[in-house]
Amino acid sequence: MSSKQHILNALKSAAMAPHAMPTIDVAPRIDDLVGQFEANLITVAGTLHREGGLVNLQTTVDEHIAQGMQVISMVEGISGNREVSATAHELRDIDYAVIPGDCGVAENGAIWVNTKNLGHRVTPFICENLLLVIEAKSIVANMHQATSLMTLAPGEFGTFIAGPSKTADIEQALVVGAHGACSLNVYLT
Amino acid sequence: MSTSKSNVHAHKAEIFCKDESRVDWHSKALWTLREKRDRAAGSIPEWEQLRQIGSEMKLHTLTHLTEYLEEFEQNCIKNNIKVHWAKDGAEHNRIVHEILAKHHVKKVVKSKSMLTEECHMNPYLEERGIEVIDTDLGERIIQLAEMPPSHIVVPAIHMKKEEVGDLFHEKLGTNAGASDPLYLTRAARQHLREKFLSADAAMTGVNMAIADQGAVVVCTNEGNADMGANLPKLQLHSMGIDKVVPNLESAAVILRTLARNATGQPITTYSSFYRGPQDGGEMHVIIVDNGRTDMLKDKILAEALKCIRCGGCLNTCPVYRRSGGHSYNYTIPGPIGIAVGAQHDDTNSIAWACTLCGSCSYVCPTKVPLDKIIHHHRRLKAEAGKLPYGKSNYMPLVGKFMASETALNCSMGIARMALKILPGSLLKPFSGAWGKYRELPVAPNSSFEAWFKKNRG
Repeated sequence: MSSKQHILNALKSAAMAPHAMPTIDVAPRIDDLVGQFEANLITVAGTLHREGGLVNLQTTVDEHIAQGMQVISMVEGISGNREVSATAHELRDIDYAVIPGDCGVAENGAIWVNTKNLGHRVTPFICENLLLVIEAKSIVANMHQATSLMTLAPGEFGTFIAGPSKTADIEQALVVGAHGACSLNVYLT
Repeated sequence: MSTSKSNVHAHKAEIFCKDESRVDWHSKALWTLREKRDRAAGSIPEWEQLRQIGSEMKLHTLTHLTEYLEEFEQNCIKNNIKVHWAKDGAEHNRIVHEILAKHHVKKVVKSKSMLTEECHMNPYLEERGIEVIDTDLGERIIQLAEMPPSHIVVPAIHMKKEEVGDLFHEKLGTNAGASDPLYLTRAARQHLREKFLSADAAMTGVNMAIADQGAVVVCTNEGNADMGANLPKLQLHSMGIDKVVPNLESAAVILRTLARNATGQPITTYSSFYRGPQDGGEMHVIIVDNGRTDMLKDKILAEALKCIRCGGCLNTCPVYRRSGGHSYNYTIPGPIGIAVGAQHDDTNSIAWACTLCGSCSYVCPTKVPLDKIIHHHRRLKAEAGKLPYGKSNYMPLVGKFMASETALNCSMGIARMALKILPGSLLKPFSGAWGKYRELPVAPNSSFEAWFKKNRG
């Protein structure tokens, strides 16, 4: 007998009576979504740039490039100085990655990004610093709304990113910048 | 594991408790997490509603596991994910090794997975010439220190920063005497980046497996799972059968409670959904039973499988905080460790590492009735004739004694008298371990029964 069959057979002697799936109907808080989003982004150590949109972002990117930084941009209208490389490993020296997010979540400051906007899947993690771009109107109230709107086609990868990478594994001291990006700046358009 | 005194929970806890200042420090560190959890839970008005939905959703899934596991497998296959089934830890390890051997893998980067700990996978692979690098910072620390984790979310919570500094000085060449968490974390970042970039394969645990998507969700704060899984072409994910959830809608409920209950964050930094391998890559999911279907045969124990491994019950547990994670004789310590581990505990002692205060059940985001389960374990141990250290001898006598009105009244009368006229130093030895950290009580003038007759009868 295969192990799969063995496990499925064993499940036949489970003791609990069948339980119905509950209705998931949680009232969203829809007042000041951008304000909620910004407050939560701050708690997860990210920064929001409400004004200036892509123009502001391009200025920042240009400054980084002028300082000799390596910048890759996956956002239309923002130009960096690096192209998508042949292998993911070649992104190891990227200082800044500019990536579009599909939607923001007000209740926790997270932003959904999807494979198709990443070049390589590892881009938002391997870069030293991350610059995300979202449309103000894409911000939803909570995770229930976010999962109903997010897209994840078969074969794809996507991730909710809430702030820069962080750890508190050494004596509970919060350190920003573990393995992923050391900072996160979000630009609203 | 031997049943010698040195392995029972109380004795191991005694060793931990020798350094009183460390116990205070440990307890405080965990209580800080509990306080952060309370603030996070209190900040969303629908918290109790989410706990209720979470509980019912997990109950629903656990009582329809066959359908959801098969649906999950079929959708995974559609997404070009290879699915394996393992009855136990040994089979899990064998499957993992076969996949790695086929690809000539020499180095694996692993992100935190309590399941692979439960299966003792690392030593199995290392014996076969494969280097396994734990990449979560806490896990890496204890791996370098050659210790098991002492907490499921913060595995090195028992270590002080000076101890981590000494360890990193020896193993990673950091400056002698350095103990600044920022400096040490940056050193670990450099060290592990090299490992990520040179690994042949990546392994992760699974926070949720979404049946109707054929996708697995992995949550980390450090980004180690994603740095791992998205660099090499080969990625493996190990999951218990209890990790499956029906759909994205239900995954959202868990994502709302997991981090809030674990560390007080509104969500983990990265909540990643893998619905297939990267271009030219290979993705494997290993679905593991390892005793879970046995637990499902018992209505009360089955509810332990609602657990989403947030660690909230450890942080609030007064026994865990003061006895340390290494005193439990099981990979998973604390209340949930007792709930899922007591049946494997040869010392039969961990079911008693609990005051039945119920704090764990109160904070649980999926309403696992932990105190009820732990109490049930005691009953199961008693029924199996496996009561620990003498309880099986004296408890029946205590039972007979308490059942006899004459014997009880008579001896309580003597006890009240003794407490009044004899010196404490003479009586204290009779109170055993109970009296070690307590003063003897002040004797009341009469029995409650006599008092009741006189005043209320």
